[in-house]
Amino acid sequence: MSQLTLEIKQLIIDALGLEDLGPDDIAADQPLFGEGLGLDSVDALELGLAIQKRFGIKIDADAKDTRKHFASVDSLAAFVSASRAIA
Amino acid sequence: MSWIALCELLTSGESRQVTDAPALLLGQVQQQALHLAGGLQRRNVRSLAVHLEDAAQLAIALLGAWRAGARVLLPADLQPANRERLDAQAELWLTDQPGDHSLMDLLGEPLSAAELDPQLLGLTLCTSGSSGQPKLIDKRLAQLAREIETLEALWGADLGAASVIGSVATQHIYGLLFRVLWPLCAGRPMLRRPLPFAEDMQRASREQPAFCWVASPALLKRMGDNLDWPALRQVRRVFSSGGPLPAEAAQLLRERLGQWPTEIYGSSETGGIAWRQGGELWQPLPGVELGQDEQGALRVASPWLASGHVEQTADGAELHADGRFALRGRLDRIVKLEEKRISLPMLESALAEHAYVSEARLGVIQDQRAYLGALVALSEAGIFALRNQGRRAVTQTLRQHLNDHCEALALPRRWRLLHQLPGNAQGKLPQAELDALLLAPRPREPERLQQQWQDDHWQIELRVPLDLAHFSGHFPCTPVLPGVVQIEWAMNLARELIDDLPPRFGGMEVLKFQQLARPGDHLKLSLRFDHARGKLYFAYHNAGKPCSSGRILLGARP
Repeated sequence: MSQLTLEIKQLIIDALGLEDLGPDDIAADQPLFGEGLGLDSVDALELGLAIQKRFGIKIDADAKDTRKHFASVDSLAAFVSASRAIA
Repeated sequence: MSWIALCELLTSGESRQVTDAPALLLGQVQQQALHLAGGLQRRNVRSLAVHLEDAAQLAIALLGAWRAGARVLLPADLQPANRERLDAQAELWLTDQPGDHSLMDLLGEPLSAAELDPQLLGLTLCTSGSSGQPKLIDKRLAQLAREIETLEALWGADLGAASVIGSVATQHIYGLLFRVLWPLCAGRPMLRRPLPFAEDMQRASREQPAFCWVASPALLKRMGDNLDWPALRQVRRVFSSGGPLPAEAAQLLRERLGQWPTEIYGSSETGGIAWRQGGELWQPLPGVELGQDEQGALRVASPWLASGHVEQTADGAELHADGRFALRGRLDRIVKLEEKRISLPMLESALAEHAYVSEARLGVIQDQRAYLGALVALSEAGIFALRNQGRRAVTQTLRQHLNDHCEALALPRRWRLLHQLPGNAQGKLPQAELDALLLAPRPREPERLQQQWQDDHWQIELRVPLDLAHFSGHFPCTPVLPGVVQIEWAMNLARELIDDLPPRFGGMEVLKFQQLARPGDHLKLSLRFDHARGKLYFAYHNAGKPCSSGRILLGARP
């Protein structure tokens, strides 16, 4: 597990107050919403804010499909890496 | 652009756009509604449940059903348990889901255009009742018409031709009035779909020459600084309803947008009651008359309640001399999570139906966001599952079970598992006590059942708590009491029961672990301190069999 992947998993667990869940319990390609980890629409809002704050990046509000980055830990890690490279 | 009264929407000859993407004119809405009315009449449908994401389709469904004299039920969600309960009331389901009817399926030979009957009982809203049963609230068309006429009188001039962009669903009274019926009558373009993310609201706003937002605190209190706030200042008005917006969030919006959000306080039962723009106090909507019962809960009379009806709410309030008021929280066991109304008794009885549960109580936990916590007394089957599959398997199973009864948002995130629920002298568990139990960390100490001094040692009867904090880290799928915790418990109990115990830990001797101890096990611990040798003897028995034993060396400080 890369450092970034681990950090993102821990951020999800902490930000959302998920009990009984450790980084190892979240697969990097597991869907975060819906049937996967079962996060809801408010979690999506919370996570959007937490990711921007934690990694000092900004989600481009005018880009289409920004929410695709939030599909899984993997896609979030790719998004954070790419955003940092630009910054 | 002129106002068309709700009951004249099918007969007006005015040409105007109802929505874009794809575009739809009022004439097309009327045509489709009349085809639907014909189809419903041919099938002799008197009532139908409607759950549609597209606001324009919902407009067609409502007008069509009303023209056919049918009643529309609007369920808050399509959870299986909810559907089952409403099935008796609805002759058919018109939804976006496969297996249900779609608008296209139901079209028939059109009825003629005609004015709608203002006395038609055309709408039934479904919400959570405090008894645990869903509550059905009927509205006549005249009630809906009067409410949107009041909204237009208050804010119509400001809004002008603003497009209506919403983040909320149209299944609730707020979304239905603000995103569908009011724009339809006023001739303001409505966006078809709800946009739950601020980024999408921003993109949609940029495409409109003028716009307003119909949003909720869930979104408005979570808007980031990645948005183009200077551009968004164009917004004509920001409506928020479903629950009060925290003062800091309202203040921040004011700084970013140059205007206070317009908050509406209301309920499914009453429709709109009051509004505010900044500050704590609410201003009653024109025509609304307020009173209070002896507990201080608001009583509401308004032009859009059934005539002569006075609705008693469960919202505590403080009325001021100038007619404004402050809200002081609900007085029953309905809670709101992110504007979703949730009946705790309903979820508690749903939980108790599961084989793992003998009794359950729920409370709200305020963390980063508010969520539910569950205090659960496990049945024998539940304890068996906990011992053999672990805590996470049990809580996941219970969450899965509840998933049929509520939206994901209401699934408890914190669980406290017990043998039985505590109660006060009246056998009740007051909500404050329940909330405190949910907030407390999971136990780290044993439950002490009995202790006595016998011959030369202490005999202590213990029970291993079902929910011991240590279980999560140690073999989470088959929880066992770690040896190091057994030693710690022996040491702590010895310090409490035996005087003059030397303070310094000097090591362990002849440690033996022979038998596992698991959640819920009854253990017997014997403790004896040999002063001469400075050794604390401990031995645990589990169901008569030796479980673990050893000697702890204790000495004076060096």
